[in-house]
Amino acid sequence: MKKLELLNLTKSFSNFKALSNVSIELLSGETHALMGENGAGKTTLIKVLAGILKPDQMTMKIDNNIQNIYSSIQSKNLGFNFIHQELNIVSYLSVAENMFLNHPYPKKYKTIIDWNKIYKLSSNALKELGVTHINVKKKCAKLSTGDQMLVKIASCLIKTDTTPSLYVFDEPTAALTLQESEKLFKVINNLKKRGAIILYVSHRMNEILEISDKVTVLRDGIKVLTDKTSELSKEKIIRSMVGKDLSDNFPERTGNINENIVIDVNNVHTKYIRNINFKIKAGEVLGIAGLSNSGQREIFNMLMGVDNIAKGKISFMDQKYEPTSPSDAWKKLISFVPRERRKEALMLKMSVKSNTITPHYSKLSKFFFLANKKQENLITNNFSKKVQLKYENMDQSIYQLSGGNQQKVVFSRALASNPKLLLLDEPTRGVDVGAKLDIYNLIIQLTKNGCGIVLNSSDLSEIMGMCDKILILKDHEQYKILENFKINSQDVLANFYESKKQ
Amino acid sequence: MKMLNLIKKYGTLIGFFGIIIFFTINLPSTFLTAKNFINISQQISMLAVVAFTMTVVMVMNDFDLSVGSMASLAGIVAAVLFSMGYPIWIGILAALFVGIIGGLFNGFLVSIIGILPFVATLGTLTMFSGFAFLISGGRTIFGRDIPSEFSSFARSGIEISSLDLKIPFLSILALLLLFIVWFILEQTTYGRRLYAIGGNAEASYLAGIKVKQLRLSAFALTGVGAAIAGLMYSSRVASSNPTQGSGLMLEAIAAVFLGMTMSEEGEPRVLYTLLGVLILGVLDNGLTQMNVDSYIREVLVGFIVILAVAFSSITKKRN
Repeated sequence: MKKLELLNLTKSFSNFKALSNVSIELLSGETHALMGENGAGKTTLIKVLAGILKPDQMTMKIDNNIQNIYSSIQSKNLGFNFIHQELNIVSYLSVAENMFLNHPYPKKYKTIIDWNKIYKLSSNALKELGVTHINVKKKCAKLSTGDQMLVKIASCLIKTDTTPSLYVFDEPTAALTLQESEKLFKVINNLKKRGAIILYVSHRMNEILEISDKVTVLRDGIKVLTDKTSELSKEKIIRSMVGKDLSDNFPERTGNINENIVIDVNNVHTKYIRNINFKIKAGEVLGIAGLSNSGQREIFNMLMGVDNIAKGKISFMDQKYEPTSPSDAWKKLISFVPRERRKEALMLKMSVKSNTITPHYSKLSKFFFLANKKQENLITNNFSKKVQLKYENMDQSIYQLSGGNQQKVVFSRALASNPKLLLLDEPTRGVDVGAKLDIYNLIIQLTKNGCGIVLNSSDLSEIMGMCDKILILKDHEQYKILENFKINSQDVLANFYESKKQ
Repeated sequence: MKMLNLIKKYGTLIGFFGIIIFFTINLPSTFLTAKNFINISQQISMLAVVAFTMTVVMVMNDFDLSVGSMASLAGIVAAVLFSMGYPIWIGILAALFVGIIGGLFNGFLVSIIGILPFVATLGTLTMFSGFAFLISGGRTIFGRDIPSEFSSFARSGIEISSLDLKIPFLSILALLLLFIVWFILEQTTYGRRLYAIGGNAEASYLAGIKVKQLRLSAFALTGVGAAIAGLMYSSRVASSNPTQGSGLMLEAIAAVFLGMTMSEEGEPRVLYTLLGVLILGVLDNGLTQMNVDSYIREVLVGFIVILAVAFSSITKKRN
């Protein structure tokens, strides 16, 4: 395979166009970087190549011959390989066994597994990538994440009849250390020399500039740029990723920020994050931003008492605050909207009422132990109305509601205690546009009432549109706080990509 | 479609009435009588108590395999104390105390150490049983060692002279425990929190529920329930032997599962557990009266439990 072309690729999900008319040309011996913000359409494009999603419209040409992909098996037979962050490694099997997961085991006399041959073929495959330090008899559990990724890549070389021709890397370095990344880049170079086509998706600007030959940028499902990397600069790429000012769709901030400090986090460390320093005043919104998995989740864990404070001090409403479990946080009127609605927030088979009331039982009980049904109904009714929940009745099971309405239940439960501080971890993830706007309006309303807010979002426009100041995380450490009211989104994004020493 | 929904919701209940009709036809003079049903209520009272308190842990998606051997151990502890000449109330308190401690130990293993309930309570099942043998020296304790006031409890009841009936104390005790468990699970914030844990333990934790403490205490409740059942059994047969409770665990879990087929979202509810216990009790009573071989009886009971649960999971999946 010398050339792979995707022409006029369009894919929509109900009303939402994930990709429209995207064309891209990939050449053998070339590393092509695919960039864009979250939701720009990168993942959709990869899934189309993998045969997981069926495009609405696309012409695919391999060496100028039209080729269709109907299934993931077919994609594999074409020699397409996908390397994700999540590696599907079976950790209690050996390296060699993992490499043979997708291939028939060679056998002696057609019955007994020929282990010698397996070990030989798998270490040969690794050698072809220039990897000699991995013992193929070792259990994969003992390997570092980086080495596991190399194993996964090498396993694509096991089969000898069809040489893999396309390698798609989807944020491969997100979980790797610097040295591991360097090893990976060497391997990618080796693949390139063998004539492979490489499509490389990453958020890390520096490595894109270092290893790619061409860059394509997607924005809102549209291709906005394709050029040789040598012709591009970091600034130019970021500008085309962000596009024009995106914060137009957010409701106007009306309330005033009070001078009372709700929470003061003073140089706090936990087991997982370092040097966290911020103050939130009543009615203020603090945004948290950074590349994915830079410690966002751990900030919430710190504030909720999931991870204990190892060093530093937090004071909340002028009192020392040392939570040891989420129960302490809720008691102090700190409410939490977790990131993964279905896993971390909701009891899906239980009623709207149970879900709304769960954190507030102690406040609503009679004589400390009796459930106060009247009060429970009242609160559920009030707050469901407040968040404009669309539901039949409060005994309805949660799973019957739409994603947006489920999220509104999580919100109404967070509001039901009239919180002083509200923690929002990706509050609009998987929520439709209408519900999104409702949620933004709720946040504004809360700030009017003097509630402080911590908002983490991987959607940069949301951070820009909603926040008064922005805490930037890098490698599980606070990098800086941007307090300027007229922060420009390109500057924020540029901060993510600056290396620490600059 | 409506028909299917009806069957889905009330399938187990319809099956229960089917069983009753079947026995009424086949045992016309002896089955559907007040006396027989009072008899059944006494027969199932021990199982009922264990099943009710088992419901408490099953609400949290946990379960407790050690209840049977706990029932044996509690009975033995009381009987050994009786044989040493201690008064009845000391024996009873000691047995209940053993139930709490054993239950807390289960809870400790499951919620603090983090062992799967299956493995943890499988281990304590053997341990409790071993203790029962150890304390009793492997003997059945009976005869003069068991005070007559203790054993007469099971034989007496409230007389209803106008109907010439006697409602046994054992049945009344089971009803009392039903009320207590129902009250705890359905009327207190404690019970609501247990249901929340069963709905999603991680979400409950993040919503400020003290998951560890609650799981610990719920296991203690189940332990006490098992101990009470053990005492009831010893009182009923006026003796204690180290294997007396061994049949209870599987039947109690089966009863809760039968009950779960009747609830809205498949969650355990103690009133439905009662129905599950009744189904098992009626089956046992009727088949015994029809002189069905006890081995065949076991096969049948197992088959019916599987049938009910399979039926409900198939219809719920379709939905």
